[in-house]
Amino acid sequence: MARHVIVGGGTAGWNAITTLRELDQGDSEIVLVADETPYSRMVLPYYLARDIAESHVYIASPPKLAALNVDARLGARAERIDASANKLVLKGGDEVEYDNLLIATGSSPVKAPVPGADGENVHSFWTFPQARAVASGVGEGARVAMIGAGFIAFTILNALVNQGVKLTVVELESRILPRMIDDTGAGIVQDWLNERGVEVRTSTQVTSIEDKGDAKLLKFQEGPDLEVDLVIMATGIKPNIDWVAGSGLETNQGILVDEHCRTNVENIYAAGDIAEGPDAVTGEKVVHAIEPTAMQHGRVAAANMAGQEVAYKGSLLMNIVDVLDMEIASFGAWDDPDAEVFEAVRAERPAYRKLLFHGGRLTGAIILGKTREIWTTNDVGMLKGLVYTGVDISEWKEHLRENPFDVKRAFLASGAAGGLLPETVLGRPSISAHEIAISS
Amino acid sequence: MKILKIIPEKCTGCMRCELACSYEQTGTFQPSKAVIRVSAFEGHTSYAPYTCPQCDEAWCLTACPVEAIGISPAGAKDVADDICVGCKLCTIACPYGTMFYDIDTHKAFKCDLCGGNPACASVCPTDAIVFEEADKTDWVGPFAAERAKSPAGPLAGVL
Repeated sequence: MARHVIVGGGTAGWNAITTLRELDQGDSEIVLVADETPYSRMVLPYYLARDIAESHVYIASPPKLAALNVDARLGARAERIDASANKLVLKGGDEVEYDNLLIATGSSPVKAPVPGADGENVHSFWTFPQARAVASGVGEGARVAMIGAGFIAFTILNALVNQGVKLTVVELESRILPRMIDDTGAGIVQDWLNERGVEVRTSTQVTSIEDKGDAKLLKFQEGPDLEVDLVIMATGIKPNIDWVAGSGLETNQGILVDEHCRTNVENIYAAGDIAEGPDAVTGEKVVHAIEPTAMQHGRVAAANMAGQEVAYKGSLLMNIVDVLDMEIASFGAWDDPDAEVFEAVRAERPAYRKLLFHGGRLTGAIILGKTREIWTTNDVGMLKGLVYTGVDISEWKEHLRENPFDVKRAFLASGAAGGLLPETVLGRPSISAHEIAISS
Repeated sequence: MKILKIIPEKCTGCMRCELACSYEQTGTFQPSKAVIRVSAFEGHTSYAPYTCPQCDEAWCLTACPVEAIGISPAGAKDVADDICVGCKLCTIACPYGTMFYDIDTHKAFKCDLCGGNPACASVCPTDAIVFEEADKTDWVGPFAAERAKSPAGPLAGVL
């Protein structure tokens, strides 16, 4: 019986487990090595908002893992890989032999190198314990500084503001959401936030975080000091890759994988935030540290571990976030300087749309507008479909140049849906994790 | 399985499907809350209803980080409201544009085939929407492409 060892119980690891069991109904050994009880990082903002209970955050609970016949080593930490002996060495010295190894150890937050960043009431928002720490420190009237204005910061902005937090967002770069939207979009969002009582300071570098009684005092390279009760550092993440050094695995930003999510070592796979695999639009290898990529990597790696030949088309960069009833989404190569760009701003709504083309192919898009208007037109998924399929919409370019807000008929006429319908990532219809049956 | 088969050549643009859908799904007559939508072509002389094809990949289901989307006895991908947190990942994962978000309930919603008796098909007066055994196919694409190529163009007379 094959033994699959999975390191990391996040989205990639959990999807690999369910896919393996979907394929083999229990006819393999699965060992999960995870230093935390698996949970869904994606829903932590809703926990912070007090919309959901702690129990809602745990996806792969120990009973669920047991039901899938997984040997779950929770609290264990992988220390190194002995690839020549097909062995994983755990902290403390235990060894786990494998036939196939999946590395899905995700990424960790990086705090900006500022004096005081490790002090009390200065938190990252990435893990469940960090989310708990932030949740216990915020409430009506709390003054919070958010250092970093990227996607992670914005996923928790609603939860903070809706609880009556007085929020100041500080960004080193010249615009907010620098890796999700462009200057035009960021300007609209920044105005939107200012009108709703959120202070935004861009091009601003924090130089120190000091204690002032029970409060924190932030000092900047330029501009007035800021006194707050709590600081959230959302200053980026990096793949948890250090522990694989010396294993012989090829790495760059992440662990390099091919379209099977396989590394340069035949029986070692990598998935999710730690994997650097093909991009669906460019074909180049990239780290896409986003939930949908972790999910798909996990499924593709597992199918190949189970002996199927499944090639992945590549991951598509995509993000969506709602900021105080403004919806912001981007897809694909939205920041490509070589693309032909059609864009339009409706300042009075406000709304913004940007479409990026190479020839007749849509290669990237930005969508921004009031939540209720975005979900009335519902273009979000259609733009994803056009970017993902790369279908030729040359005939619609002139129309879209004039009105980039009207994509639906172009989508319908493109035949994208017909091209997509026969396509499945694993070569068969997907099922829900709830439907997986294990034969004992 | 039975699916919603759409024959756009028979559609008159009466929008009864949208009204029936929104009423069945949300209890209000609001086309903006329907999960079947009619698009107009050729200066509002041709119409095509469009909804979730219940695709085999189930992009929405696999994307959901809390496993709120399952497959109903009718074969529809269906959102469990008590589990959905409203993160909208399904809306960017679905490449068909048929995953919706309800701004009042803060939940994702989609065509669930009305539990096996779809309101849109029941009310369609011309049988442009029928619920029957058929292959999953792009019912609207060829029609829309043909209209786009007409001399008047797809948008003549349309704002």
